[in-house]
Amino acid sequence: MKPENPLHLTTQKCTTGCPILDRFLAGGIPCNSITELVAESGCGKTQLCLQLVLSAQLPISQGGLAASSLYFYSEFPFPFRRLQQLSSSFSSSHPDLFSTHDPCDHIFVRGLQSADELLGLLDRIDTFLTNPPSRLPVKLIVIDSVAALFRSEFENTPGDLKRRSSLFFGIAGKLKLRAKRFGLAIVITNQVVDLIGSDTANGVRVGNLSCLYSSGRRVCSALGLSWANCINSRLFLSRVDEIAGKETAVKDDEGGNSVLVCTRRRMHVVFAPHLPESSCEFVIVREGVFGLDER
Amino acid sequence: MEVSSLPLSPSQRGKLIAAGYTTLSSLSSVSAPDLARDLNISEHEAIEILKVSSQSSKKIDGCHAIVTGAQTAWDMLYEEEFMTRITTSCADLDNILGGGISCKEVTEIGGVPGIGKTQLGIQLAVNVQIPIDYGGLGGKAVYIDTEGSFMVERVFQVAEACIEDMPYNYPQKDFQARKNKMQPENFLANIFYFRVCSYTEQIALINYLDKFVAENKDVVLLNQVTTKFNEGSYQLTLALGDSWSHACTNRIILYWNGNERYAYIDKSPSLQSASAAYSVTGKGIRDAASHCKRVRIM
Repeated sequence: MKPENPLHLTTQKCTTGCPILDRFLAGGIPCNSITELVAESGCGKTQLCLQLVLSAQLPISQGGLAASSLYFYSEFPFPFRRLQQLSSSFSSSHPDLFSTHDPCDHIFVRGLQSADELLGLLDRIDTFLTNPPSRLPVKLIVIDSVAALFRSEFENTPGDLKRRSSLFFGIAGKLKLRAKRFGLAIVITNQVVDLIGSDTANGVRVGNLSCLYSSGRRVCSALGLSWANCINSRLFLSRVDEIAGKETAVKDDEGGNSVLVCTRRRMHVVFAPHLPESSCEFVIVREGVFGLDER
Repeated sequence: MEVSSLPLSPSQRGKLIAAGYTTLSSLSSVSAPDLARDLNISEHEAIEILKVSSQSSKKIDGCHAIVTGAQTAWDMLYEEEFMTRITTSCADLDNILGGGISCKEVTEIGGVPGIGKTQLGIQLAVNVQIPIDYGGLGGKAVYIDTEGSFMVERVFQVAEACIEDMPYNYPQKDFQARKNKMQPENFLANIFYFRVCSYTEQIALINYLDKFVAENKDVVLLNQVTTKFNEGSYQLTLALGDSWSHACTNRIILYWNGNERYAYIDKSPSLQSASAAYSVTGKGIRDAASHCKRVRIM
């Protein structure tokens, strides 16, 4: 056993594809670590993940990992069309890199039905990670989402919850081992559950935000405290639908009044060993997910 | 270690064993006059024998370990007053800890994710290296990371801030001159970092550390304890159960109180149960924003 010298341990980061989000995340998604994206549906978790598997292919000089990605999905169907859309927009903005091949050649996708299946797969992917069918080794693993793997099979009994927890630790343990061995960045998405009741009754405060709000409701991450201990960083994506003011009310065809609704999206750092408490507004457009500069 | 394997003459060995001195430890706490009387030899010869035996015990362990049965309580009390402590950089927290995290004791730090356990660990790994004339220990740290949360850029930040703050806490004239030798890189180089992924690795590491620490003096161990809170009727308890909690000398629980981070001394043989607020800033662990709120003694 030999100690490592921290001077030689700089953490590599994978760019998100947007310089403002990268700055917010101090460089991007870190390698050798599990980053969780937690949000309710429709907030942009999958969009961001699709963007990451593309930007991971960028050379290291441009903030990428020069790597292929492995995308495990548990919420069917996989958004192939959106990936194609993003991919063609990506290759046209980097023509020198993708003149001869399709970015999708470096993205490997696998559906998952259960947590046990994931556990079994993780034992067998080592050779795949170092020698995938494309010429770039795999350095990014996305699991979208981990919550869907667990939410249907487990009852609320102590026995089942214990079994669920041990699966969390098993999966996280295997992921972290490979993250360390192969220098992987791991991104996992998680869902939210509603918090009902008064302030202190439910929900333990985890991280910087005293409560997580999305779509005007108090929410908290699914899967509880045990899972929260398995990850290294947690980012919360929220959305708020704002009425864009009476002055902008537009008369629609039938003569009634319609109102412009504007969706404001924010990414918050719930906890991370290297990031302070902060949040950043972002938008989702055709070309992908981009942060908004608030200075 | 047997007396029979000491490099002494056979007659000396025979006398020792006959008088009941069969192990090295039995020789380590006897005085020369007593030994001379028991063996019926001259005091000069007894001194020689004792010298040989203490040299042998040094050779075996690689460090000067007097393998005795016990220290006197008086000696221990004397030692305790000089027991070194590592500051946490938060005055309130240092106060309830009696000055800081003490060496020679195992302190467990537990709390929910995001409360600051890793941050405290990193702060301690940096603070142990503060030079002695700045109120520190001038030591090094062994950091055992079982989670993968040790981010070098953060350690760099904390080390930078520690160097910056040093002259304010202990003003010294020649700080500028010494500053050139104290760069964040030096602090990083003195942290021996181990990444452990399983409990078997952890056990192997602990066995290795015995040898490692003996070769490198003044090393403080920082095992980042990821203690998990299990919810049970709104009572949070540390995971790993009661059998684990017996293994540690001190236990500190970190928790949220409204919007502030607090530390609570849950178990300590010498410290009063008390809680203190602290904060995690860009510079590391520091006093809470509401520093004027004094410490609450339970």
